[in-house]
Amino acid sequence: MSDGGQAPGVGGGPPGDSWTKRLFRLREEPPYYVRILLGVSSVGLLLLVWGGMTSGDIPEHRAISPAVLPSLGETAQSLPRLFGERGLIASIAASLTRVFLGFGLACVIGIPFGMLAGAWRPLNAFVTPLVIFGRNIPIAALIPLTLMWFGIDETQKVMFLFIATVPFVFSSAASAVVAIHQRYVETAQTLGASSWQVFRKVLAPLALPQVFTDQRQLFGLAFGYIMLAELVNAKRGLGFLIQMSQKRSQPEDILMILVIIGLLAWLIDKTLSWFQRGLFPYRRDL
Amino acid sequence: MSEDAPVPFKDADALIKEIDAAAKADPPPAAPDRDAAPPAPEVTVVAAGGEAPAPAAAPSGRPAIVEFKHVTKTYGDGPKAFTAIKDVHFRIEDIPGKGEFICVLGPSGCGKSTVLRLIAGLGPQHPPTTGEVLVDGRPVVGPGADRGMVFQDYTSFDHMTVEDNVAFGLACRGVGKAERIGQAHGWIDKVGLSVKNDARKYPHQLSGGMRQRVAIARTLILSPRIILMDEPFGALDPSTRMQMQDNLVALWRDLEATVFFVTHSIEEAVYLGDRVHILSSSPGTLLREITVPPPDRPAHAMQRDPRFLEYVFDIRDTIETLEASRRAGDD
Repeated sequence: MSDGGQAPGVGGGPPGDSWTKRLFRLREEPPYYVRILLGVSSVGLLLLVWGGMTSGDIPEHRAISPAVLPSLGETAQSLPRLFGERGLIASIAASLTRVFLGFGLACVIGIPFGMLAGAWRPLNAFVTPLVIFGRNIPIAALIPLTLMWFGIDETQKVMFLFIATVPFVFSSAASAVVAIHQRYVETAQTLGASSWQVFRKVLAPLALPQVFTDQRQLFGLAFGYIMLAELVNAKRGLGFLIQMSQKRSQPEDILMILVIIGLLAWLIDKTLSWFQRGLFPYRRDL
Repeated sequence: MSEDAPVPFKDADALIKEIDAAAKADPPPAAPDRDAAPPAPEVTVVAAGGEAPAPAAAPSGRPAIVEFKHVTKTYGDGPKAFTAIKDVHFRIEDIPGKGEFICVLGPSGCGKSTVLRLIAGLGPQHPPTTGEVLVDGRPVVGPGADRGMVFQDYTSFDHMTVEDNVAFGLACRGVGKAERIGQAHGWIDKVGLSVKNDARKYPHQLSGGMRQRVAIARTLILSPRIILMDEPFGALDPSTRMQMQDNLVALWRDLEATVFFVTHSIEEAVYLGDRVHILSSSPGTLLREITVPPPDRPAHAMQRDPRFLEYVFDIRDTIETLEASRRAGDD
């Protein structure tokens, strides 16, 4: 909606261009309220199908048995139990701590090395085989390994998340630097910048907004591994709660926890995005 | 090719034959099409120097500020080899207290930028395949602040404010914050921007013309002896372009630097230049050097003068004739 000026009628809107017509324009962002409406209706549709498949007074009348898919009401009723006796808050805190530590460590190590590798390709060539290997090993295989290496306590969970995410962090940081146009490097060099100055004053700061965006997405990946990280010897944590719910045959608890994980991830992403806009005022596209 | 001895302008025709013969000897199965042009009838070609006797005819012992000695740049080898420029040979004297404004004219893809980037020492054009590029008598080894460069696009560091952009080179030299920002403000003013309104802006808040002004200020603040400009006004609208030309002329008068200005606008070349170098289409060779009158009025006035237009038409005809005779010699 921001830019006027390509086709006549964008913004102004002659009578012929009704809003229904404008919905079908290529690459045109609909107005804010239309976007919200569309988003809400997709969730609404899902809830409607869910509600329809699980409606009926007694279990035999339902399209899907409550043991497989509990109704909306039953799922909502699990909330007090989760917050109360099952200690949801403590579990959220435990899981988030593990993710922040493991993924944070991956960022602290992966981002600087990745950016250096993007600027200095021999380092990239040196590390690339390990990164490809690390990105493609079955994640679950890391469970027994990390158990053998780091024991069964918190260290294992943090290190598992670290090893699982650091290859992705590294390659995203490297490719963000690679993507910076060579013209910037040449300009800096003809202004007398040394290699280190080009990296520190030009390449790294120009790549940083993209690095940040990538890390926002990778955070989702790290959060997704929580189940695996908490498979063994966890006394708290969202993964642990889900496992226990399965043992107790409480699918409504699992559904509720998934909803909460989704909301939590969304909240964190919004916070990061807010930080990003403050950190990079020169990128209005973020 | 082993003529590093001073035989610059002896006999253009013979020279061409030598070089073509050498080029033919090098790649085993002679390169296809244009590259394998028969040597003979390019008589008009490489009149460099012969046409316009270099201003400082007697070099007086001082090294030329820029000298190309039979420079050829070829990428790849065998049948896939591509020659960007071929046997470019010229010499620019360092006129004391003035410097020269050289415009490099030629069709797209003729290797104009290659010439510039060879002087700047930027890869992959640098180093040349054969021949030598000398600046101040010494071979170019890499980029440096003595040869400032202004490009057409991607010209500003998006993460820095205007004043930090302009002060970038000084910061790299270790000049203190207050000192370099002070100097930057001086240059922001000189290139026609407002210190009060623009100094703290980010590049994305500026128009294309303003961003080019920032790029020019950022280069000139380092007072380079050679300024390389690669179609810096190519993306600007005509009236902005003329304003920028006027501004550049005014700035250059105080600078005493040698400017290489690549363009494909004949008007721009004739207006700005003391001399115009005409390059042929690929592979680029230096077809001719023409001396033109320096700008003595604002661009919009001078570019309407019949005498000015005569120069423009003359050069256009020259280019067409030279290209035609080259093509005739090609098949």
